[in-house]
Amino acid sequence: MVEAKEKITVSFTVNGGDVEIQVAPEMALVDMLRDGLLLKGAKRSCDMQVCGACTVLVDGVPVSSCTVPAFEVRGKSVTTIEGLAADDRLAGLTDAFIDNAAIQCGFCTPGMVLAAKSLLDSNPDPSEDEIKDYMRGNICRCTGYKKIVEAIREAADKAVQA
Amino acid sequence: MTQERQFNTVGQSVKRIDAFDKISGRAVYSVDVVVPGMAYAKLVPSPLPHARIKSIDASRARALPGVYAVLTGAELVNMETHYGSDKKDRPIVALEKVRFQGEPVAAVAAVDLATAEAAAELVDVEYEELSAASNLASALLPDAEPIHDSNYCHEYGYEWGDVDRAFAGCDRIFEDTFVFPMVYHYAMEPHTCVVSYEGDRIRTWTSAQHPFLVRAELARIFGMQLDQVQVVVPYVGGGYGSKSYTKIEPIVAALSREAGRPVRLAQSVEESMKTVRRHAARATVRTGVMNDGTFVARECLSYVDTGGYTDNGVRVTERISDRIVGPYMFNNVRVKSYGIYTNTTPAGSYRSIGGPQASWACESQTDIIAEALGIDPIELRLKNLAKKGDQVRRGKRPLEGDLAPKLQMVLDKFGWGNYVREDPSPTVKRGIGFACNVTNSGASPTSTSLVRFHADGSATVYIGTTELGQGSRSVMAQIAAEELRIPLSSIKVIGSDTDAVPYDRSTGSSRSTTLMGLAVHDAAVDVREQLMELAAKHFETFPDQIDAADSQASFKGESLTFGALVREMFGGSGGELMGRSYVTQNHSSGRLTEDPVFWEVSIGAAEVEVDEDTGTVKLLRYVSASDPGKAINPKQVEGQDEGAAMQAIGHSMFEEMLFEEGQFLNPNLVDYRVPTFEDLPGEFETVLIEFGDGPGPYGAKGVGEGGIVCVAPAIANAIFNATGVRLHELPLTPERVWRGIEESRR
Amino acid sequence: MKPFRLYEPTTINETVATLSSLSVGGKLYAGGTELLLAMKTGLLQYEGLVNVKSVPELDGVSFADDTLTIGARATHSMVEHSADVLAHAPLIASVEHRIANVRVRNVGTVVGNLCFAEPHSDPGALLLLYEAVVDIASPSGPRSVSVEELVVGPYETSLAGDELVTHVRVPLLPTGMRGAYLKFGYHHRPTLGVGAAVTVVDGKFVDVRLTLGSAPPKPTRLREAETLLHGAATDDGAVATEAGRIAAEACDAIDDLHGSAEYKRHLVQVFVQRALTEAVERGVK
Repeated sequence: MVEAKEKITVSFTVNGGDVEIQVAPEMALVDMLRDGLLLKGAKRSCDMQVCGACTVLVDGVPVSSCTVPAFEVRGKSVTTIEGLAADDRLAGLTDAFIDNAAIQCGFCTPGMVLAAKSLLDSNPDPSEDEIKDYMRGNICRCTGYKKIVEAIREAADKAVQA
Repeated sequence: MTQERQFNTVGQSVKRIDAFDKISGRAVYSVDVVVPGMAYAKLVPSPLPHARIKSIDASRARALPGVYAVLTGAELVNMETHYGSDKKDRPIVALEKVRFQGEPVAAVAAVDLATAEAAAELVDVEYEELSAASNLASALLPDAEPIHDSNYCHEYGYEWGDVDRAFAGCDRIFEDTFVFPMVYHYAMEPHTCVVSYEGDRIRTWTSAQHPFLVRAELARIFGMQLDQVQVVVPYVGGGYGSKSYTKIEPIVAALSREAGRPVRLAQSVEESMKTVRRHAARATVRTGVMNDGTFVARECLSYVDTGGYTDNGVRVTERISDRIVGPYMFNNVRVKSYGIYTNTTPAGSYRSIGGPQASWACESQTDIIAEALGIDPIELRLKNLAKKGDQVRRGKRPLEGDLAPKLQMVLDKFGWGNYVREDPSPTVKRGIGFACNVTNSGASPTSTSLVRFHADGSATVYIGTTELGQGSRSVMAQIAAEELRIPLSSIKVIGSDTDAVPYDRSTGSSRSTTLMGLAVHDAAVDVREQLMELAAKHFETFPDQIDAADSQASFKGESLTFGALVREMFGGSGGELMGRSYVTQNHSSGRLTEDPVFWEVSIGAAEVEVDEDTGTVKLLRYVSASDPGKAINPKQVEGQDEGAAMQAIGHSMFEEMLFEEGQFLNPNLVDYRVPTFEDLPGEFETVLIEFGDGPGPYGAKGVGEGGIVCVAPAIANAIFNATGVRLHELPLTPERVWRGIEESRR
Repeated sequence: MKPFRLYEPTTINETVATLSSLSVGGKLYAGGTELLLAMKTGLLQYEGLVNVKSVPELDGVSFADDTLTIGARATHSMVEHSADVLAHAPLIASVEHRIANVRVRNVGTVVGNLCFAEPHSDPGALLLLYEAVVDIASPSGPRSVSVEELVVGPYETSLAGDELVTHVRVPLLPTGMRGAYLKFGYHHRPTLGVGAAVTVVDGKFVDVRLTLGSAPPKPTRLREAETLLHGAATDDGAVATEAGRIAAEACDAIDDLHGSAEYKRHLVQVFVQRALTEAVERGVK
């Protein structure tokens, strides 16, 4: 067995619900979410903050949960893909992704959608260049990106009209 | 005929049936599978690329609390020790020697991953280092240390006509050599599996593309019957060929047997980059032509680098030769290729095996020839292009459709004829380039399907096809809905569980819509015909008098739901109809006996901007083509083509696995550069071509691979058009382009 | 990652004391975007990480006396979006915006980046252009050194193991001086970064600063090239070319995954000239 040197109590909010969990300092946020809380939406892929498959929102901003330690969310609000169903604007984003065939294997999708949500939260009407710039940290190997850009543009259009 | 039919769902870009699963986070991938009592595995990789194993001492590792088992070669008893698709040359765990850096020499199963990792570090291995060959050149040296019996894996060739005499009679002969790099698929989900070895049966959940082939392999290794092995493939986070055939299941199964409990291995991206890659290649194309541009003779010699083990090396060696003649009619051809072992990651399937490598060579040369003869590169292609019915490769199926109109569609979309070159500055140049090819696709016509039609009018469709992202579940649902005459929302698709679904050979080589699609189509028709029989009985008429639409059977103004027909048959509230089908080479009146199942067409046009001072190439525009015959789901078809083209942008511009004396220098995503949003060309279009010329349902044929084949030569041809510099080696990094420009100036 | 213990001091003094007591087993931890990566791959290993984010004194971004002060807790994102930075040194905001990706910027810190001293990186070369200074807390009392003196080589700073950079102070460019920063590369990390800040009077360079990052082993000030440019006309192509040549020779580049040393030196030549042009024509504060 490999024993942790200590345990840290992490009290935080995830998807609107309060949680308290004990973690070792070296535990990554993605492992706490996936194994501790069974929120399997966030994925581990590159494990080096390059691909974005592990993207979750902490206090509304995207972070790489593969590298951010679990203890860092103490007192913070975490949003994973599972928590987005209730969000109205997100329903528009979800529909746009689905309608524009912006999902293929789906492994990048949770991280991609959360990044897109964060983009639209800070910039509700982004140009194509702004979308590419903001989203360049989220990799997709299936779609070739075009339909994801179209989906984000459509979600932005619909939200602006609403 | 099929063009006039009115469809209900076929031809519509319906929402993927797995879309909500995937976007909500509840889609299950292999890494999400948890089995009671499951242990966690860590492989012990060889740090050396080529070495004899002198000893392995796992005692310290085994003694670590929480370790259930350590598997080494010594534990591979009462079982087959090797596996592989065409050659069973891959040991389940390294035996007497290691042949590439990263080859597993042991595997640890422990109570958690941290313990397994700690134990892996305690496995002591003594090696006797051997000299390593990192590339084709060093592997082919006469005194190279043989990696297997020799460094030759496979040899292939064919010829027709009289090549030597033909060359003698040509006006011009061109000979050029091209180099294609080692690249990695980077499926975002690394190879992952859970295997439970249970004495008289094996169960596995794995991100594999071909569950039935994995089942056969595991059964053979452990001396079991097919029914004793269950392979379940959940959603796969990307395949592209990297998860073809059998990869990590045997070692995990053996470890599970050793540990006496289920074991999960979830590889890291680095470990997966040390599991499989695309074949690098060196291809020499020699072409004899007349001054008027007539292609007379072609002779090719290709070497493909298959890494430390064969994996799919036999077929790739063959396909590069099949594809290097291009889409042109040559009366004299002699093609030869060799698969060569090197001490690097084994090379296997990757989207259009041998296709990009072959086209990089032959379609670059087409423009070289055009330039030398003073003929427009499009005119040169059109002059020699194969036509419908031509034997573009002797002994193979003739070309099913005309290519010239397909080329024209892409050229028109691109605005090729109207292109006016505008260089932004004296040192920033623009240019356009084009490439096309045909690739033999479809693999093997061996598919079966089962449709269960329920008593409430809904249906379940069983397919062996794995859902890798290509949208197979949705396409099969659409075909079934169409033929059953029920709404898409009444269809459930069950896939890729060898205990539950009937046999399908594989998911790859663009075969699923065509072959599994035919199977689903036929099984659904089988059900519909049974429903018509029931309706005929009910209405006291003949089946051909019954009108079937919208889940109902109608006759002379009266109708009955399909569900009611089923219930009536069984006389209660339950019951079920079953439809089944077999697709073999005898299907479609023997149409599938010819090889290939179909020719996949590949076309691409590119506009680039080259900064000559730095060598930076910006891809301004790219127009690709997707030729599905009939697009069952047009947006999905586009998405596949766009994805394929983007992967090709990767291998064209910056992707390269670098090895030095067998040491893998960049096995991670920081140092191995894959395309991002910023690599999207300003204009990125796919032309959808639907001439109904495929052997699949409604004239459909496969897609997904064509888009990756012609990007590199189109870009290189555009760079030549812009700067006059011809490049022979990929990727076209800024440094490579800059050096090419500098050399041309001397 | 191997297990470690987390220390969370609440004052600068406590931080220094904790570092001292941990000795080689301890390391400062802020965003961890580079440190944790190295620990995950096993390249680095520490018994204890000392969290600077629990120290309020190390906070954020502030502006006073023509100087931007960036605390050790400030992330790239904070700097990128800071009203003070956008108003007084927009060049810094624009370069920070292009670092890595949005997730790394939300977590990684500017001070952490300087101290990790990854050669293929922008903040060092950028802040060198501003002649920035770091404030250091240590057991023997506070001291300050220029960024130039802080970073001494690849992954190497002049800090002792028990020292902590608390802030980086960035003086604004002098009145009339305008800057540009060009970066080049297609990898995840940059291959080359060139900073140029110029003061132009009557079409001549009156003051020039040139910095180089990513290609050399550490952020480098190109003083010889600067000297050459002093007094030269901004449209004097020959001088600009010569300055580029000198800069390339000063580059000390090596062959690596980003390219050959020869190519990198060539890029230096090209980009020094381009950065000068950019600074002259479109330079910002």
